[in-house]
Amino acid sequence: MRKNDSTEAPERFQYLQSLVTEFQDTDSEEAKEQVLANLANFAYDPKNMEYLHELQVPDLFLDMLAEENENFVEFGMGGLCNLSMDPECRDVILQSGGISLVTNCLSNGREETVLSTITTLMNLATPTTRSKISEPGILQCMLRFSLAESPRLRNLAAVFLQDCCSEEQVRQAQQQMQGLQTAIGIPLPKK
Amino acid sequence: MAAPVNKRTDCWRSPEVYKHHEQQRVCISRPKYRDGRKAKAVKVYTINLESRYVMVQGVPAIGVMTELIQLCALYGIVEEYRPLDEYPAEEFTEVYLVKFQKLTSARAAKRNMDEKSFYGGVLHVCYVPEYETVEDTRLKLQDRRSYIVRAARNRERERTEATQESPTSSDATTLLNKILPRRDETSKNENTREALNVSHYSEFPPLPLPPEEHYSFRQNVPTEDKMGTLHNSFSNIEQPQAESLGSNPTTSNWDQGTEGRLGSNPVSGVRLIPRIAHLASRKRKMERSEEHSANVSGENGPLIGPKLPEPPKLDMEDESLNTTVTLIRSTMTQVGSFPEVKKVEKKAKPRRRI
Repeated sequence: MRKNDSTEAPERFQYLQSLVTEFQDTDSEEAKEQVLANLANFAYDPKNMEYLHELQVPDLFLDMLAEENENFVEFGMGGLCNLSMDPECRDVILQSGGISLVTNCLSNGREETVLSTITTLMNLATPTTRSKISEPGILQCMLRFSLAESPRLRNLAAVFLQDCCSEEQVRQAQQQMQGLQTAIGIPLPKK
Repeated sequence: MAAPVNKRTDCWRSPEVYKHHEQQRVCISRPKYRDGRKAKAVKVYTINLESRYVMVQGVPAIGVMTELIQLCALYGIVEEYRPLDEYPAEEFTEVYLVKFQKLTSARAAKRNMDEKSFYGGVLHVCYVPEYETVEDTRLKLQDRRSYIVRAARNRERERTEATQESPTSSDATTLLNKILPRRDETSKNENTREALNVSHYSEFPPLPLPPEEHYSFRQNVPTEDKMGTLHNSFSNIEQPQAESLGSNPTTSNWDQGTEGRLGSNPVSGVRLIPRIAHLASRKRKMERSEEHSANVSGENGPLIGPKLPEPPKLDMEDESLNTTVTLIRSTMTQVGSFPEVKKVEKKAKPRRRI
C-alpha cells in the first residue's frame, strides 16, 4: 500500500469509499465490525480526515452510538475520538448533535468506550460549546470517575475537570452531589 | 540517560493485568481486498491506548536486561526502566516496564519489537497508559491535538495556494498538459504540485517530471496498511523532526530521518529552473567538467535542461550520526562511480586430442 503521493490520493479515497460501501451493504455483523474498526483506525491519520469527511464517516460513527452491539459502540466512539481532534470533523460532529449523543455513552459499561467518550467531549469543547460540555450532570459524572480505581479513567476525568470547566463549576457540582446523591447511581465501567 | 531504579511510588505501583495488555486473537476472516500483509486483531487505537510507557513481556530470564534496554534505545531515548517482578509472567521469562521520552519512540519500539525473537524468546510489547500521571496524560492529549491542528492548517494552506495559483497560470497549464505524458490526474496533490511549479516558472515550458523511480527512496514513508493501523508507524506521525537516538544508529534510523524530511515536504521534490538563471553557472560547470570528464560517467557535453534536484541534506541532529550519514553517502557515491566490473573471461583451453 506504500505508493507515491501522486497516485496515492485517489486510490486512498476509493479504498475508503469501498470500506464504507461494504459497511452499508453487508449483512454480516462480523464484517461490519471489521470495517468499522478499519475506518476508526484510518481516522487516526490526519491525511485521511478530508476523505472521511467527504464520505460522511463522522455521521456513520455517530449512528453507531445508539446500536445494541457493544463493539459497534466502542469502535464508533473510538473513531469519533480520533476524528474529533480535527477542527472540520469536530464541527460536523457538533452540527449533528454530537454532544448529547456522545454524553449518553458516559454510562457505557466498557472502559475503552468511556475513555473515548471523555476524550471526545474534551475535543468538542469550543468557546461556544463549553457551557454545554460543563453541565452539572457531566461534571458529576467526571467527579465520580475521578474517584475510580482505574488510573486511566481517573487521569482523564481529572484532566477534563481541570481543563474544561472552572473551579467554581466543579465546586458547585460537588455540592450538588453531596446534597442530592445523584451521581452515586452512575455505574462505573468494567475493566 | 535511563535510570535503572525509580523510587517514586505513583508511577511504579503494583501492576495490574488489564485487558489491553492481552494479545487478542488475529482476525482470519477478512476479505482479500482489505487483508493486510500481517494478520492483526480487530482493534481500534486511540490516543488513550497509546503511551510513552510500554511493557515488554517474554524476556528470557537469562540476565539480558541491558541488551533489552539497548534494543529499546534504538527507537528513542529511554527515560526510565525497571523489571516488573510482580506482574504475572510465563515461566523463565521476565517483564519490564520502559518509559520513553517520546510517544513516537514508544510507537516505533512497539512496532519493531512486538512478536520479535529475542535471545530465544518472543517479545510481546504493549502500551501501559495506566502508568501515566495526570500531567503525562494531559501533555499527551495536547501534543496530539496540536499535531492534528497543524496538519489541518497545512492542508488548508495548500488548498488556498492551489486555488489562488490556478487562475493566473491557465495558459501554462494548457502547455503543461500537452507536454506531460497522459495520465489520470485526478489527484488534488498532483494538481497542486503542477500549479505551484508552473506559477513560479511560467516563462518557460516546463520539462517533463523525472521518472517515478527517482522517488524510490520515498517508499519508506509510512502509511496505513489496509486495516488503517498507522499506530504502528513510527516516523513523521507526532513530530516531523528526526528522532534523536540514545544508542547505535542503524540504516533504518537513517531512513527515519529521510522519511521525516521527505514526509513533510513532498511538493518540493522537483524544481524546474529556467535556463537563463543557470547559463552562467553552466558555463563554469562546463569548464570544470572538461577537467574532470574522465571521472564523470554519462556526461558527454554541456548541461542542458533543468538542474536535477540535489539529494536532500540530512540533519540527524547529532554530530556522530551526521558523520555516519556522510560516510555512507560518500561510500555509495564511490561505489556508484566505479565502472561495472567486467566478467573475467576464461580463456578456453584447447582440448587435447587423444
